[in-house]
Amino acid sequence: MNLQFIVDGLISGSLIGLGAIGITLTYSILRFSNFAHGDFMAWGAYGTLSVVAAIGALVGTTAPIGALSFGWPLILAAIAGMIMTACLALLLDWLLFARLRDKGQSIIVVMASFGASMALRSLLEFIFTSSPTYFSRGIQMAIPIGLGIRITPDQMVMLATTIVLVTAMHLFMSRSQTGREMRAYSQNPALARVVGINVDRVVRATWIIGAALACAAGVMVGILVQIRPLMGLDLLLPMFAAAILGGIGSVPGAVLGGLIIGLSEAAAVQLIGAEWRAAIAFAILMAVLLVRPMGLFGRAER
Amino acid sequence: MSIPDVPILDVRGLIAGYEPGLSIVKGASIHADEKEIVVILGPNGAGKSSLIKAIAGLVPITGGEVLLDGRDITHGAAHLRVRQGLAFVPQTENIFPLMTVEENLRVAGGVLQRGEVQARIDETYTMFPDLARQRKLAAGSLSGGQRQMLAVGRALIVHPRVLMLDEPSAGLSPKFVEMVFARLNEIRRAGLTIVLVEQNARAALAIGDRAYVLVEGREAHEGRAATLWEDPVVAELYLGKRRHA
Amino acid sequence: MIDLLGYGAFFMSSALIFGLIALGLNLQWGQTGLFNVGIAGFVAIGAYTSAILTTPETADRIGGFDWPILAGWLAAALVTAAAAALTGFATLRLKSDYLAITTFGVAVVVQLVALNAQSLTGGPFGVAFIPRPFASLQDQPVLFNFINLGVIAAVTVAVYLALEHLARSPWGRVLKALREDERAAISLGKSAKSYRIQAFAAGGAVMGLAGAVQAHFIGFIAPNGYLPTLTFQVWAMLMVGGSGSNRGAILGSVVVWAIWVGAGAFSAAVVPGDWQARAASLQIVAIGVMLCLILLWRPQGFFGPQGFFGKRRS
Ligand SMILES: Nc1ncnc2c1ncn2[C@@H]1O[C@H](COP(=O)(O)OP(=O)(O)OP(=O)(O)O)[C@@H](O)[C@H]1O
Ligand SMILES: [Mg+2]
Repeated sequence: MNLQFIVDGLISGSLIGLGAIGITLTYSILRFSNFAHGDFMAWGAYGTLSVVAAIGALVGTTAPIGALSFGWPLILAAIAGMIMTACLALLLDWLLFARLRDKGQSIIVVMASFGASMALRSLLEFIFTSSPTYFSRGIQMAIPIGLGIRITPDQMVMLATTIVLVTAMHLFMSRSQTGREMRAYSQNPALARVVGINVDRVVRATWIIGAALACAAGVMVGILVQIRPLMGLDLLLPMFAAAILGGIGSVPGAVLGGLIIGLSEAAAVQLIGAEWRAAIAFAILMAVLLVRPMGLFGRAER
Repeated sequence: MSIPDVPILDVRGLIAGYEPGLSIVKGASIHADEKEIVVILGPNGAGKSSLIKAIAGLVPITGGEVLLDGRDITHGAAHLRVRQGLAFVPQTENIFPLMTVEENLRVAGGVLQRGEVQARIDETYTMFPDLARQRKLAAGSLSGGQRQMLAVGRALIVHPRVLMLDEPSAGLSPKFVEMVFARLNEIRRAGLTIVLVEQNARAALAIGDRAYVLVEGREAHEGRAATLWEDPVVAELYLGKRRHA
Repeated sequence: MIDLLGYGAFFMSSALIFGLIALGLNLQWGQTGLFNVGIAGFVAIGAYTSAILTTPETADRIGGFDWPILAGWLAAALVTAAAAALTGFATLRLKSDYLAITTFGVAVVVQLVALNAQSLTGGPFGVAFIPRPFASLQDQPVLFNFINLGVIAAVTVAVYLALEHLARSPWGRVLKALREDERAAISLGKSAKSYRIQAFAAGGAVMGLAGAVQAHFIGFIAPNGYLPTLTFQVWAMLMVGGSGSNRGAILGSVVVWAIWVGAGAFSAAVVPGDWQARAASLQIVAIGVMLCLILLWRPQGFFGPQGFFGKRRS
């Protein structure tokens, strides 16, 4: 078997894992499965693309950084995109989710997220059409790194970025006061209020983090593959599967789950063909639900 | 002892319930003065827990008012009440089991300055040396008594003015009960006001100054803790039912 | 005029098929509280099952068993019920969100199988020459349309009556108790799960049947007929009609389908050619926003027993 699948799997696994962090946080803190999370990825990617275009119109073409396919405008734009996606998530929460959460039926919130997801995705198709676009059309040379494995400079930088983001997330959740408050709230919302935690702040932090990471993942998909309105929908099932596999509420679990799913998909592409790729996440999801529904790092449902 | 004009905690005609149209607390009025220990007794299901949960901001209030040091906090968010000096230790599930002992304390210090939090945590460790030894353990692995100490210690982190506790002695061994009540008495001497809901009436009245008996969501009797037993109404309302149960 | 009548019959047939799917969803969601976001998948299972069983033998595809249409429909209902029961079995002891995620996955996988298992499903080109009921009348289009409508209406009425009967049976009363009273659910324990699986499977059977009826009505199926948009339309229909009400499910379907078709015709007439695809997207945005608004302001829908047009509950 060709070992190239390891690099491919690690890369798609990191993207899934980054997205799954938002899913797992939304689920454990806001207590619903957000079907619109994939669309945050797509909106983030398109938002970033628009900012790149705006920067290009202002300062003209810029040279790419080193051997990469993109230059500093993309980095700036990605940060702007993360802010925009976070605002989108907060807006959606204010308009829709918060109002329904107050009524107390979590499954209604899930349904609303499903409706919102359809609307968000179709709005992208309306604005940008459904044909794919790219940050850069250049073809990158893959560098052999031994054992028959090749990796492009873009892929290396994306892997490094993921490691940085995940480490930062981990430190944030374990060391910062906001991270502690988020964990406390996910364990016992009523007690969290009693110990003086501002619930609204926790909710806001959850949306901001989830949406910003979704945007980051979306931009990475855009750099490595392409940008399409459906890009988030296609990653939704793998992201849910990763969050459940890792154990709902666990940030490291979501990332590990993402990597496992990415690697399994890449291996399956080699063994049974690329057309069945999307079934792998489902197979893993079913296996987890039947054998160990609390996931790798999860605790039993209260 | 002279009674100050304005009680530090003043609850007037409180009406509260979990579902719309179904009040559990039906017009209860209680108050607590500076440095006082007020005990709330009552049969099971009388609404004692619901009453202090409502005061803490966890049960929707539909009538009456809650004044803290003269300020109306009836409709404030629960976390703001904590910041205004009203702390609450629930009866069950009163710690975050997956966080360490130290994180449990630290998470309550959100409004404090960075350096201040550490000082307060050290203060708590001095008061409850057991906790200091177990600071790195998951709180879920503590014993019942240790959990209770952690919950009390955490409530004290922000230096509240009023501390409300819901049956802190429930499920504890007599030795622990004694120690918890001794600590509460110390805390009061240090300047706190304590509102204590208890089933363990004897132990509670021993340290209490004043007591209420709550029946069917409203106070049926109020009196000095030391003489409460002598009141025939109380004996019938509370103790009579207790013996039945 | 005749054309218009024929079109009216065609429109009502399509709407009633949606009504059938919505009836299945109403059993799952409205009566039992089970959230299904993979409706398109279950409808597809029914459609493909019946298509494979009833089409004449074909060289390049497994299947083509030339079964009678009714046998195909029955098989469609049974196979879909089995798929739904399996889904329920795997997830119904867990939190409700897991069922939602799993049904979403079912739709993804069914779509994948429809696209890639060429030798069974015909791949992207789908299955053609699905026999139509009373095909001998096909050369009289208006009559044929009305006969089709009659068949579909008969199936809808039969399913409607069966579901109404079920809802009033002891079985239906248990479902109602399970939905409304958490304590009843807890006291029933294990059998609560089994009731829920039964309801989910029965709802699935209705969706599968609807898929089969639709396949035989159109005579041709392909994977892109079973995209998430379908799931979404049916949800909008049930929510407009009022979940919990079978009558609402059918009325909601007719109304939403009319809005959908009307908006489509309007944009086809008004929007210039190169903007047609975009206008279609906007149509979905509008339905999505409508669904959210209904959840916010009118969760009981418009046509159910508590809706605008139904008798109000005293
Ligand atoms: N979360 C809740 N939701 C709905 N009703 C509740 C809830 N908690 C308590 N109740 C109801 O409120 C009433 C009073 O309960 P509460 O716990 O306040 O009584 P209590 O005096 O503390 O009793 P105990 O001595 O057993 O602790 C009970 O009838 C109970 O059923
Ligand atoms: Mg109580």
